Amino acid sequence: MDTMCIKPQKQFLAIFSLLFSIFIFNTSQVSAADGEKIFKQNCAVCHSLGKNKITGPGLEGVITRVPNEAWLAKWIKNNAAVISSGDAYAKKILAENGGAQMTVFSDFSDEDLNAVIAYIKAPPVAMAATATTSNGPQTTETPEEGVNPLALLIGVIAFLIIIVAVLRGVRHSLKNLQNEKLGLEEEPEVGPWTEFKKWMSTHKRTTAVIVLFILGGLVSSGWYALKDIGVYADPAQNREYNPEQPIAFNHKLHAGTNAINCQYCHSGVERSKTAGIPSVNVCMNCHKGISKGPTTGTTEIAKIYDAAGWDPDKGEYNKPQKPIKWIKVHNLQDFVFFSHQQHVKVGKQDCATCHGDLKEMTTARQVQPLTMSWCIDCHRKTEVPGMQDNPYYESLHKKLAEKYKGQPITVDKMGGIECGKCHY
Amino acid sequence: MATKKYWKGLEELNNSPEFVQNAQNEFAEQVPVEQFLGDSNLVEGNGTNRRDFLKFLGFSVTAASLAACETPVNKAIPYVVKPEEITLGVANWYASTFYDGNDYASILVKTREGRPIKIEGNDSSYVTFGGTNARVQASILSLYDSSRLTGPVAKSGDSWTPTSWSSVDKEIGGKLAAIAAKGGAIRILSSSIISPSTKAVIADFTAKYPTAKLVTYDAVSYSGMAKANAQTFGEEVIPSYNFDKAEVIVSVAADFLANWLSPIEYANQYARMRRVSKQNAKMSKHFQFESNLSLTGANADERVQVKVSEQGKVVVSLYNAVAKIIGDSTLSSSALGCDAIIAKAAKELTEAKGKSIVISGSNDINIQLVVNGINTMLDNYGKTIDIENPSYLHQGDDAAFADLVAEMASKKVDAIITYNSNPAYTAPASLKFAEAYSNVGLRISFADRADETASMASYICPDHNYLESWNDFNPKKAHYSLSQPTITPLFASQDSGTRQAQETLLLWSGNTTDYHSYIQKVWAERVFPMQGKYMAFGEFWNNSLREGAIEVGKGGEAAEGNMAMDSVKVVPVKEASKKKEEKLDAIPVAKKIEKINLGDAASKIAAIKGGEFELALYEKVAIGNGNQANNPWLQELPDPISKITWDNYVTMSPEDMKDKYNLMQRQDRVASVVNVTVNGNTIKLPVVPQPGQASGTVGIALGYGRDKAGKLSTQTSVIGQNAYPFVSIVNGTMMYGAMDVKIESANETTEIAGTQVHHTMMGREIVKETNLEKYRKDPKSGNYPEMMHTHNGNTVNPATVDLWNEHEKLGHRWGMTIDLNSCIGCGACVVSCTAENNVAVVGKSMVMRTREMHWLRIDRYYSSDMSKAVAEETGEGAIDMYLDMENPSSVNPKVVFQPIMCQHCNHAPCETVCPVLATNHSSDGLNAMAYNRCVGTRYCANNCPFKVRRFNWFNYNENPEFAFNPTQDDLGRMVLNPDVVVRSRGVMEKCSMCVQRIQAGKLEAKKAERKLVDGDIRLACAQACPTNAIVFGDLNDDNSAIAKLRKEDERNYFILEEIGIKPTVSYLTKVRNCEETIEEGKMPEGKSETKEKSEAKA
Repeated sequence: MDTMCIKPQKQFLAIFSLLFSIFIFNTSQVSAADGEKIFKQNCAVCHSLGKNKITGPGLEGVITRVPNEAWLAKWIKNNAAVISSGDAYAKKILAENGGAQMTVFSDFSDEDLNAVIAYIKAPPVAMAATATTSNGPQTTETPEEGVNPLALLIGVIAFLIIIVAVLRGVRHSLKNLQNEKLGLEEEPEVGPWTEFKKWMSTHKRTTAVIVLFILGGLVSSGWYALKDIGVYADPAQNREYNPEQPIAFNHKLHAGTNAINCQYCHSGVERSKTAGIPSVNVCMNCHKGISKGPTTGTTEIAKIYDAAGWDPDKGEYNKPQKPIKWIKVHNLQDFVFFSHQQHVKVGKQDCATCHGDLKEMTTARQVQPLTMSWCIDCHRKTEVPGMQDNPYYESLHKKLAEKYKGQPITVDKMGGIECGKCHY
Repeated sequence: MATKKYWKGLEELNNSPEFVQNAQNEFAEQVPVEQFLGDSNLVEGNGTNRRDFLKFLGFSVTAASLAACETPVNKAIPYVVKPEEITLGVANWYASTFYDGNDYASILVKTREGRPIKIEGNDSSYVTFGGTNARVQASILSLYDSSRLTGPVAKSGDSWTPTSWSSVDKEIGGKLAAIAAKGGAIRILSSSIISPSTKAVIADFTAKYPTAKLVTYDAVSYSGMAKANAQTFGEEVIPSYNFDKAEVIVSVAADFLANWLSPIEYANQYARMRRVSKQNAKMSKHFQFESNLSLTGANADERVQVKVSEQGKVVVSLYNAVAKIIGDSTLSSSALGCDAIIAKAAKELTEAKGKSIVISGSNDINIQLVVNGINTMLDNYGKTIDIENPSYLHQGDDAAFADLVAEMASKKVDAIITYNSNPAYTAPASLKFAEAYSNVGLRISFADRADETASMASYICPDHNYLESWNDFNPKKAHYSLSQPTITPLFASQDSGTRQAQETLLLWSGNTTDYHSYIQKVWAERVFPMQGKYMAFGEFWNNSLREGAIEVGKGGEAAEGNMAMDSVKVVPVKEASKKKEEKLDAIPVAKKIEKINLGDAASKIAAIKGGEFELALYEKVAIGNGNQANNPWLQELPDPISKITWDNYVTMSPEDMKDKYNLMQRQDRVASVVNVTVNGNTIKLPVVPQPGQASGTVGIALGYGRDKAGKLSTQTSVIGQNAYPFVSIVNGTMMYGAMDVKIESANETTEIAGTQVHHTMMGREIVKETNLEKYRKDPKSGNYPEMMHTHNGNTVNPATVDLWNEHEKLGHRWGMTIDLNSCIGCGACVVSCTAENNVAVVGKSMVMRTREMHWLRIDRYYSSDMSKAVAEETGEGAIDMYLDMENPSSVNPKVVFQPIMCQHCNHAPCETVCPVLATNHSSDGLNAMAYNRCVGTRYCANNCPFKVRRFNWFNYNENPEFAFNPTQDDLGRMVLNPDVVVRSRGVMEKCSMCVQRIQAGKLEAKKAERKLVDGDIRLACAQACPTNAIVFGDLNDDNSAIAKLRKEDERNYFILEEIGIKPTVSYLTKVRNCEETIEEGKMPEGKSETKEKSEAKA
């Protein structure tokens, strides 16, 4: 399962870099790429690039409809001003859209406007199409080249065993030959096991020591295996937890390329103990307008529509809703109380500290072990960034600074590794 | 020698070959081990031997443990469309109201992810002042009762058929129309209704069916009081009492702190007059005359035992005593044993004229008339007793109910609708309600389950739980509150499911308005005009809903006369506006207090004759009138006085029990069983010695013996016996007692599950006590520490001796102080703690093994006749002295209550013995318990001097033996607090001082970037307390209430301070407003005082 979900990302990377290398030779395409980001962050909620109307009109062929490009730039930047100037076309489209005004984007620079208009004029259809043709998240890749050390070890051992067996045969034959020569009786063929037992009975002390070593090894490996129970990921063992999700949500695209703030979807992070997995209606805020993505085309987004009961053709919610059953990636035991707001809002911790760089991940994967020792290690090392400016901590901070002169005031110094802080 | 042959059977005689073969085997047949080990094929084959068995065992254990090691795949399923108001992990609070026809409380409901999990008091109410009681706290669990009906049912033959609302409406509508057409009587039988809208709905219903009539019947009725007031004041009302203005209180068998009228309100008012401080060393004086030892009696300064038949005579004697002092004419009375104390009470009452209250718990009109007479003489009306602003909580009319039953019996009633009422269970036996009920053709019940009455109905149309409903309330004049749904009805469904009773009635009267809009309409027409604060109704409504409870008419421009919700006569909404003008004139501006002739009443009281044994029926703090009998939290809550759970029983004076019944001394749990007979009705109950019970009387709690309350009665057995049949109707009102009771031994014994089997303090100062006089002279009186002897013969205060280093004072240091003067022992905190911390219910058998799980308990101690001083005087040996000390004084012992939870000792003995460090101390002073670290050695419990640690002997959450546990029910599980771990078998647990609330409170302050303010964190127990006896806060914050209290209040003390454990929880000495403190407290105090002095000299 692990390989399945990590690999496609690499392929995307390859495709992206390939396409990107093509784009750098085409300046208009570059601005369109910037424009895409701007468009998706600001416009896509209300406008589609096709003909269909979402909140605002579809933008296919908009350049030919509007008086000129300069007018369009003015309109995007401040449509209210255009309308109040008494522009005829502005009034017309306002009337066409039921008098609902568009959002004002006064902080757009001219470059932004040019980029976004360039993008609207010629959306990179090719890019999306190329990506769609690949097999999406199901793609598997041939295993990496290289020799598995375990296989090598087993090979060596097998080789040694063969050599030992052959040498034993040779020795036996030689001995018999010698016996024959000396006229002694032929030594009977003794099985290796019988011989080994004989060796053991004559070397009791050595055998005992070896047995003890083996037992000790088994016990200690068993002990460490027990410690891994319930631990989904461990960077020390290069183990990650990356289950296959019902929808191959691409964090890299959303949080990375489109730079959507984590909190837009995980809105509970500063307000609650759980950051929360977004409900489908949050997805629909944008995906009402975006029905086709650059990596998986329509296949994955269609799953959102299915869950939300949205009919993209008619543009209405007319089907039964089906909750999405995500696989929980970051699991904490029920007996641990963990609060996101404590860490993110008060402790000013970055999401990536625990969740890894999601801007580089497709579906989320667990990269940190989330074990108690991991928590405690962090609490022992981390100074609380929010502490100095927060009046709540004022007197405590003063007292701690006095007590630990010069030492950094880490979480554990203020009781952050006490049982009762997380277990109740 | 061997001439005779004896043979065992013909087989031996014949000596057949099979016999010879079998005779050689030791066992006649092979033991069929394989058969019960399972597979029959194995039996035919080789058979399993011991080695195979062990192999299988080993394999299955390994397989099971390997399977358990696999990392589970968890799913996370978010909402499709998340409701706007919900943030996962954050609680929403809704203001609402609890009223079940008996208790009223304005509440806040805590919901998590859309499900209510906790009830707390609403501070903005001027009726309940943010207080709750055990029954209100536990009502949250009654929402998740899987015994509730999930939709309407109709009776066909002997069984119930689920049906749909549409067909129910059609069938019942048709039948009602037919009955109305032929002029047949329709009756609505309900407990008290304080909802103006519900009354309007019923008025609409009677407008549609003119033959319909509302009959109000309360299981525990105060009809006699209302009737007496009708005679005295011309209006059938029950006044509001202001115990916070009363300096002297005389209560004759009125349990006003636990059950009488509006106990939450009165407890709060009462406690305000009982709080003492150096600056304000004043408190009310409370006399209680009663037969049973009630919670109120236990808190009284002077408690007098009187027989049930004497209660009326006490009132008359008190009348005469007061009349003599103020020079009024007296009534005829006979001498009583307690005349001296009556005279004393009368003296105190007259000294506090206009600042006193005299009440009686009797439902006898004559007694209440004399009580009214006393209060009139004392000029209490308009001051401590507010007849102008009556309380509407109890409107039951016993005579009307008796008439209705007679009407039903004579087949004059064609249809009856029962709402929030269970007369088949609660009606007196003499009325033969069940028989009369079956005479009615159309029997409709709005009960939420097939209870005793509903199971005999023809249709059950289940009502929503109150937490799923809209409703409005008018508990007393000028006070209104609302309840709002806090969850989508659990059994919501298109045409089935539950439905609000009011909506059902509206539909039957042809009105399709939903009840929510209906209430708004009623409020717009009636309540809105009474206030002047808001100009627009929408604004008024939203604010009222947010606040939950409002008081109108104060500060508003609306005239006083506008605001009466006529609790007796109700007019339909349509006509309301018309009638309003008429009503303006109808309201009496000032009620005339007529002096009526009490001679007749006095002679009737004098005629009451007692018997050898008299019975006083009472309500328990937990079960009350029995409507929540299916609630395991309430069943497991120990009675504050007897400390017995899961049962009702006969309480009898130990003197009366001597030589007849088992006295249950010295940890004995075995009680004798007796047959109690009143008027030909007999029930069989265990008899329990109750110190303080008036000799010649017995007490039995109502509310038990419900066989149709729900699943609890099948999971255990029927709990207790029903004592309602013993209620009789005398002079048109219910009498909750009997003057002649036959008690015979049933020659049986049974076991009683009590949580406290040791009833005295054995001469130790666990509860410190003083009296007001001493306190005034010396605020530290009663609170001198027991001194420690040193090697050089000196004594030293143990608080100053320490083996360990003191803890650092960084950050917070949590502390709790409990005012034993305010604590009335009601147990609201215990249920609140249970709900907040997912505390398991363990059942009767486990309580009998002292395995109850309550994190917080209330210890009740009786005073003993024996003390070290007495022993010294009489020269009694130490062993005899201690044996005698175990026995509470059989005659009228003093009672003290003490809530005990983990004391979070700074030098906790439990922490030092834990081999796995599962319990340890946090930097903010809490004794933390890490459940997942605990291996269950129970060393900590052994080492705890307070016995507050509770061990999970079983997996109460899964073991079918404990099926009554809410956690074992899909619905019941919804009540669990998601912020607290549900503990499993083999784990020790105890009070965490609501660490989840502490952490949450801290986090809110951190997020808002401000300092933590005193009062940000309220613990579950402190929140529930109706008397605000529990103070919690940060000891390191100099501005906190607790820090000031610790510094300034001389009453502050720690239990078992002398053993050096340095508890974090402290108590404030109990101060009684009487001459004597209890013996136990007296002696060591005197001694230590001298010691202190000698130390000072040295």
